[in-house]
Amino acid sequence: MKKMMFVIIGLAVLALSVPAYAHFQMIYTPDAALTKSAKINLKMVFTHPFEAGHTMDIGKDEKGSIHPPLAFGEMHKGKKKDLLDMLRPITFASLTNSGKAYETSVRLKGMGDHIFYFVPAPYYEGSEDIYIQHCTKVILNIAGAPTDWDTPVGDPLPVEIIPLDKPYALWVGNVFRGIVTCKGKPVSNAEIEVEYLNHDVEGNSFAKEAKAEAPNDALVTMTIKADVNGVFTFGIPRAGWWGFAALGAGGDLKHNGKELSRDAVIWVQAVDMK
Amino acid sequence: MTKRFFIIGLLAFGLFLAGQVFAHTPLCSCYDNGDGTVTCEGGFSDGSSAAGVEMRVLDAAGKVLIKGKMDDDSEFTFKKPKGPYKVQFDAGPGHLVEIDGKDIVE
Repeated sequence: MKKMMFVIIGLAVLALSVPAYAHFQMIYTPDAALTKSAKINLKMVFTHPFEAGHTMDIGKDEKGSIHPPLAFGEMHKGKKKDLLDMLRPITFASLTNSGKAYETSVRLKGMGDHIFYFVPAPYYEGSEDIYIQHCTKVILNIAGAPTDWDTPVGDPLPVEIIPLDKPYALWVGNVFRGIVTCKGKPVSNAEIEVEYLNHDVEGNSFAKEAKAEAPNDALVTMTIKADVNGVFTFGIPRAGWWGFAALGAGGDLKHNGKELSRDAVIWVQAVDMK
Repeated sequence: MTKRFFIIGLLAFGLFLAGQVFAHTPLCSCYDNGDGTVTCEGGFSDGSSAAGVEMRVLDAAGKVLIKGKMDDDSEFTFKKPKGPYKVQFDAGPGHLVEIDGKDIVE
């Protein structure tokens, strides 16, 4: 009996000590900046990018049912194109499991910025007993012409990070700044989680090899704050993709009677100055 | 004293002018429409329009085959030449972009 008790306590301690790394909805493609029109692959994966860890089933509710994504599209020169029908379900393998994700191939045509945005159905996170919804965008560019990068997508993104630096034109050592917004208004003192995509994406899985090692958990998921105007700044220490997730940017919301954290996510890519 | 200020002022102004030259880069990108035509889009790195910029399509020998201007949407569409060709976006001295036809894909 006593032994049993110890085992239970041990398990409880283990459960508590599992680091609460951050969830990140990704819209992944290898290159943010292209020189000309190209056919590209985009992968929508809900995962833990630094650890290439547990990958969630996008849109899974507390009963285990999968709900389809609510919005996926492209904005170019101020025009939005609904691409929801083009999503194909895939299974994406992390280093520890597999999760239900989506991909699509699109022809990126036309000079300038192409903003891709994705709104999944809320995901039920059992360990926190809440729903999480990552309204995500990534800004790709052809031939260096700036057209849309600093323009809000607006509907269908209820919450959104508006960049103040071109997310595809960053040297390592530059800062990335953005404004956290909800329905177009800045979110004062927003809390933002920052994480590095620490493993290459190979097909529908993460590469085993990590690029960087974090000496402590506070450096796996970094937490920064926006100022009173919703503006945050982050110095980029390494080449690759960096994700920013403004937690609860949507305010106090409920889904299926539970708390809903509607977070605004953006991905930026830095390159080495060689 | 005033003279020194004047010189500093001139230098500062000179620097300012020199900066302007590099402040924007001409940009041009073309794609093959797949229907025998090619569309080129132009612009500048500061986001300004390329409407009215002269466009030329040349053959391998450098002979001008087609000449035109960027439209109000900073676009220029032309019939794809049979042989090798190149496209020139000419926004004035130091602002010429040349694109080889073989780099223009669908």
